[in-house]
Parts: sequence; structure tokens; C-alpha cells
Amino acid sequence: MHYPWWYVPYLTSPMLIAAVSVLHVLVSHYAVGGGLFLAFETAYAYKRNDTEYLSYLKRHAKFFVLLTVVLGAITGVGIWWTIGLASPLATEVLIQTFVFGWATEWVFFVIELTAAFIFLYYWGRLPPRVHIRIGWLYAAAAWISLVLITGITAFMLNPGRWLERPDFWTGFLNPQFLPQTIARTGGALLLSSLYVYLHAAIVIKDSRLQRQIEQRSTRPALLGAVMIAAGGLAWYSMLPESAVRALSAAAALNVLMGLLFAATVIVFAALFFGPFLNPGWLRSPGFAGCLLAFGFIAFSTGEFIREAVRKPYIVYNVVFGNGIFPKETTRLRNGGYLQGGTWTSQYVKVNYPQVIVDGRIDDSRLRALDHDSKVDLGAVIFQYHCNDCHAPAVGYSAVGPLIQGWSSQMLADLVDHLHVKRFTMPPWCGSEAERDLLVAYLQSIAPPAPRGMRLNGDSTR
Amino acid sequence: MDPQALIDTSYVAPLPAPLWFIQFFKVLGFVLHMMLMNLWYAGVPVAAGLWLSGHPQGRRLTARLIAQMPLIIAFGVNFGIVPLLFIQVAFGKFFYPATVLMAWTWFSVFVLLTFAYYGTYLFAHGLKKHGENLPARYLAAGWISAVIFLVLGFVFANAMSLMSNVAAWPVLLQDHSVHGAALGTALNTGDPTLWPRWLMLFGLALTTFSVWIVADAAWFARNESADYRRWSLRFAWKMHTVGMIVFAAMGSLYVFGTWPEEVRDRMLHGPMIAHTLFTGAIPGVVWLLLAWKARSASSAASLPSRGWASTVVLAQVAVLAVNAVSRQMVQNIELHRFSVPLWKETAAQWSPMALFLAVFVMGVAVIAWMIAQVVRAEKAAN
Repeated sequence: MHYPWWYVPYLTSPMLIAAVSVLHVLVSHYAVGGGLFLAFETAYAYKRNDTEYLSYLKRHAKFFVLLTVVLGAITGVGIWWTIGLASPLATEVLIQTFVFGWATEWVFFVIELTAAFIFLYYWGRLPPRVHIRIGWLYAAAAWISLVLITGITAFMLNPGRWLERPDFWTGFLNPQFLPQTIARTGGALLLSSLYVYLHAAIVIKDSRLQRQIEQRSTRPALLGAVMIAAGGLAWYSMLPESAVRALSAAAALNVLMGLLFAATVIVFAALFFGPFLNPGWLRSPGFAGCLLAFGFIAFSTGEFIREAVRKPYIVYNVVFGNGIFPKETTRLRNGGYLQGGTWTSQYVKVNYPQVIVDGRIDDSRLRALDHDSKVDLGAVIFQYHCNDCHAPAVGYSAVGPLIQGWSSQMLADLVDHLHVKRFTMPPWCGSEAERDLLVAYLQSIAPPAPRGMRLNGDSTR
Repeated sequence: MDPQALIDTSYVAPLPAPLWFIQFFKVLGFVLHMMLMNLWYAGVPVAAGLWLSGHPQGRRLTARLIAQMPLIIAFGVNFGIVPLLFIQVAFGKFFYPATVLMAWTWFSVFVLLTFAYYGTYLFAHGLKKHGENLPARYLAAGWISAVIFLVLGFVFANAMSLMSNVAAWPVLLQDHSVHGAALGTALNTGDPTLWPRWLMLFGLALTTFSVWIVADAAWFARNESADYRRWSLRFAWKMHTVGMIVFAAMGSLYVFGTWPEEVRDRMLHGPMIAHTLFTGAIPGVVWLLLAWKARSASSAASLPSRGWASTVVLAQVAVLAVNAVSRQMVQNIELHRFSVPLWKETAAQWSPMALFLAVFVMGVAVIAWMIAQVVRAEKAAN
């Protein structure tokens, strides 16, 4: 509305955010946990003068840098890229509020990069004491980056008192900040151990060394599991009520919660019975690969749920997913959605000049339009008001199949009471005439009710 | 459609810091980014071409530069975050619509960059492992990366020029939309500023890359033969000459052929004309420094010294800084010609700003300490 809407066929543009975010977290958590692993274990290996272990750690550092510095860093930038395209208004609000959070995080990012390259490329060329310090510098910078970004992403789920007192610190130290920081730190420890298991299973042939790596990596993994559980519980307790209800109200989220729970239990159990009690199991890359795959499933599902429970907001109570401020709702209902939108009003003025009276879109003239024009303008409203969550006829959460066979009266009633019928949807933000345009469009994409269904014993529809 | 009406004014936030502060860091970040981005933008295609040429010294140069490239790309991408962050703070009203109109192309930037980055790693790996017998697949990876980098430059030139080409927004939306929603397939190719701007920056990138060649020869190529170092100096000078010609030709076309009237009025009259002329002329200083040394290198066999190379590098940093300042001035004029409010009065976030500045200083100190350790290790190894 404030900005042009980006229509991504079948998928919807916000789903691109989810795709890029999931890919990023799978690498970025490893970037944090793997940094702690390398710093801690390198110090240990130097202390024991364990050259074999040091040699493995160097190989791991190479893999680590290749993955995190390239894919981790670029997908991180990619999230920022994508949110600016799919949710420009929310991005604008976040950047205006947290510009110095991001700028500070950038400084730690430069430290991370410098330390990572020196740690790897000067392996064996720096005195051990200095090498270890650089490893710890990397680990500290990476963890602080996680903390800074978590403050901003946690804000999106529950900004707390920021609405009454909109300053940086009130927003940053929001109710979700600590729980998410604990859970993400735990996630970083756990996920990095799973990466280490697989990497070691593939590259290490010496069983003594492999056993040592498994045993040492299991401790942070179990600590991570405990932190995930504690952080997850705190996360749940600090959720806004709408998010808690969304978890039980949406069928897809029910399934995903089940999947998350199952994958997490499998990972925890496999950690306990595998590397903790029977370290030899991890000699098989297949077992280590499965463990990492289950870790990926748990992480990806968790991220998706974290994004989904915010609905209907993109930033809770601040910006709706469709790029409208809650405070704009009344103005748009009274003055018209098409008129109130920067881009929609210009579209109407160019394509339907006949509905303009004194420079404004006139409702009575909208009602007088022919059917095709009504459907077209209804589609404009759909794009800007609904496409952030729903593909039109086919695709992700497509609205067509959801309303098949509905009468125009049922549709009008739904649109009028959008947020009442489903609290995960934003309120309707248009006039009555615009509601009818949207209804005309929805009818044009809804398939008829399926035939052959017996509903009252003898008749079919 | 009234282009100006497409600039959203229904939500105008206060700036979180004084405008000069935002613009200072935007320009600083841009200069840091340009210094490194220029090296891969011009460097990877030139290096891949030198390898194909089969010239022994050229191949040596390729191997040296491509080995450094992963590091250069990592920091260059990182430094690019700063101007992109501050441009969104100051000029989000233009940045978001422009990038949404060309959303697929803009979205493809980080996907393409990932391929180009890994491609460069592959090229570097192949050169390290196989040397002269480089298999074709590694060279192909280098060429693919080179082409992607050139394409990325084109995409950036599109986005940045479309930001100020508000007049094109309505047409692009009409031609690339479905029911008023952007398809994200538009490009700013109808803008006369686009092509000279893209090519002008490529010319500038060639000059920066040539400066890096002599800096590398003076600082890091001590183990290379004198012949190689002498050849690299002469090659750098020739490449700088080509870069200068492209920069001058495209810069002239950009300034005199495509600048809007408001920009010409401000930048080519009064006290600003001296600054504009200075921006156009300052690369000549670097060229003179290179020409002087290249001539003496061929006659008296003198090699580039570290002190001289540092002077050239500093001069090139000044070139990029002056260019970035001019670019900012032009952008300010272009974006302020619309009579719409872009910000409310500043509501500075003093404590987060102080935190950032303190961390920035601390970060510089920590990085300086790490580099000092590396220098010490290098000295010990030698």
C-alpha cells in the first residue's frame, strides 16, 4: 500500500523470506557454535600438544570458513534483501528503529571475518597463545552478532512496551529477547556438534581420534539441548496471546509443531544413545548424516513456526503482514483502501479515470463499473490486501480452494469480519463498495463446490 | 500517473541521527566498498583474460590476484552493507519502490553473488593445485564469476539510477505488473544515465585494479622476479590508461549528456564547478604517478618501492572518496527536487549511536591488533 506490492506467482513474496531465512539459520547458527567449538577445542589440543587433533581442527576450520564466510554471510545479506522487497514498510520501521543495532552488528561482523581468515590462514604460523586468542575473538564476535540480531528479530514477535515508549532500548530489550537468545545459543551449540559429527565421520579414519571428537562434541550438544528446551519454554511463556492461540488454531502449525517436537526428541535421543553412550555409532556417515538432517528439520520447522505465529502482523501490533499500520485501519475503512494506498490510488487514476471525482475515488462510481472492471479492481485489492498470505487461485495457501462454492453474501460477510472470523487475519481495511469489488474477484477465482458429496442422506450437490 | 504521487508521504519517520552523520557513514562505507569491489569487478575478468592470453607474466599475475580474491570479496561484500543500510535510513522512500519494481533482478543479486564467490574460490583452488596445467573447468568457473560480477554491476547501476528516475516508475509499473502489483521484472534500461554510469564505474574499477597490481608488486610480491615486478608496473600503467579513457568518455557522456537540468545547474555552476572538475581530473594524478614510474622502470630498471606504492594507493583512495562525495551530492540534488517530506525532524538515538561509535573504535583497535600479529608472524617467517 505504501509501496508497490511484489507479486510472486504461486508462492507469495513473503515465502521467499522464509526460504532464505531457513537456509541462513542452518549456516549462521553453525557460524556461532562452530566458532565456539574451534576456539575451545584448539585451546584444548594445544594444551595437550595433540597434533592429530590439531590437524583435524585445521581441516574443520577450512570447511567452516568455506561454508560460513560465503553462504552464511551472503544469505544473511539475502534476508535483508528479501524483507526489503516483500515487506518494505516493516523493513523501513525496523531500520529506522534499529539502525545502530545493525551498524554495531556490522562492526562485529568485520571482526568475525578478520579473525576467521587469520585463524585459518595463519594456522601454525602464529604462536599458539595468539592463535587461541584469535579463535576466541572470532567466537565472541560471532556470539555478540547473534545477540544483536536476536534483539531485532525478537522485537518482531513481541515488542513489549515499545508501543508506549518507542525507543531503541525498550524495543531491543523486549520480552522475547532473553528467551530467544538462550534458545539460539543452545541451537548454535547443538547444530555445530551435528556438523562436526558428520564432517568427522567423513574425513577421519582413525577410530581413536573419531571417538575423542565425538565425546568432546557431545557435551556442548547436550548443553545446547538443555538451553533449547529452557529457551523454548521461556519463548512460549513470553508469546503474545494471539501467537499462543495461533499455535493451536492453525492446522498447518499443529502439524509443524508435531514435526518440530518429534525431530527435536529424535535428535536429543540420538545424541544420548549415540555419541554419549555409544560413540562408535558416529563412525557411520549415514548415522551422522541422519542426525544432521533431523537437526535441519527441527531448525527449519522452528523458524517457520516463529515466523508464522506473528500473523496477522509482520511486527506484532506495529505493522500488519499486508503492510498497513493498525492505526490506519479506520482511515482506510472510511476513506477507501484504493484511495488510501499510494500505489493503488495512482493505478485507479490511470486505468479508471471515470471513477475519479474531485481527485478522489468515488464509491458510487465504483459500484457503477462493469463486471470485468470490478473483478480487475477487486484483484488489485486482493494483491495489496491479501497476497502477503494467500496465492490467488493456485499456490501457497491459495484462497480459491478455501472459498469454493461460497455465495457472494458469505464472502461479503467474511470480508466484513475478516479478523473476527479468523484472528490470524488483519481487519478489512476498505469501504463497502471496495468489499464488493473484492467479492466479485474472489467469486471469479473460486471453483464451484465439489460434486457428488452426499450431505443429507439422499441428495447430492 | 503522477510520478511524484508515488513517493509515499503517509508515513514519514524522524531520522535516527543527524543527516550529516548518516551521509558521512554512507559515503565512508561506499568508499571502503568501492576499494575492494573494484578489484573483483575489473580484476576477475582481466585476470581470466590474462590467463587465456598465455603470457607467462600475465599468468603469474592471474595466479597472485585470484589467490587474494576470496578475501577481497569477503570484505568487499561486508563493507557494502554500510552504504545499503544508511541509504535505506535516508532515502528508503526511493530505494524500496525502485528495488520492488525490479524485484527479481534485485533478489538475484545475492544468489548470483554466491555462485560468483564460490566460482572464484574454485578458480583460485584450480590455480593453486594445477598451476600452468589449469583444467578448463576451473577457468570456466573463473569466467562465469567474471561475467556474473559484470552483471551484478549492471544490476546495481539499474537500482541506483532507478531510485532517482521517479518519472519512469509509472511506466515501468504499467508495463510490468499484474492488477497493479509489480511483477518485479522491470529494468531501468530506458534511462539515459544508466549505461554511461555503469561503464564509467567500470572504467574507475580498472584504474583501482591497476593500482592494486602495483601495490601487490611492491608490498607482497617480494619473492617474485624483478622481471615480473617490472612487467606488472607497465601492465598496470597501460590498464590504468584504458580505465582513464573509459572513465573520461563515459563520465563526460554522463555529466554533459544525461544529467538533469537541476543537477547541471548546481554541479556545473558557481563554486561547485571546481569540485566537479576536480572529480573528473583527479584520476589523472594517479595516472601521472604510474606513468612516471613505468617509464623509469623500463629505462633504469627501478622497481616500485613500498613508499611509492603507498602514495599511489592513497591517491587512488582519494579518487574514490572524491567520486563518492560527488555521487552523494548529485543524489541529494536528484532526490530533493521533489517537494515531498522525506523525514520528520531528527530524533537522534544518542545512546545507541554512542554504543556504535564506541564499538567502531574498539573494532578498529581489535582488527589492528590482529593485523599486527600477522605482520609479526610474517616478519618472523622471513
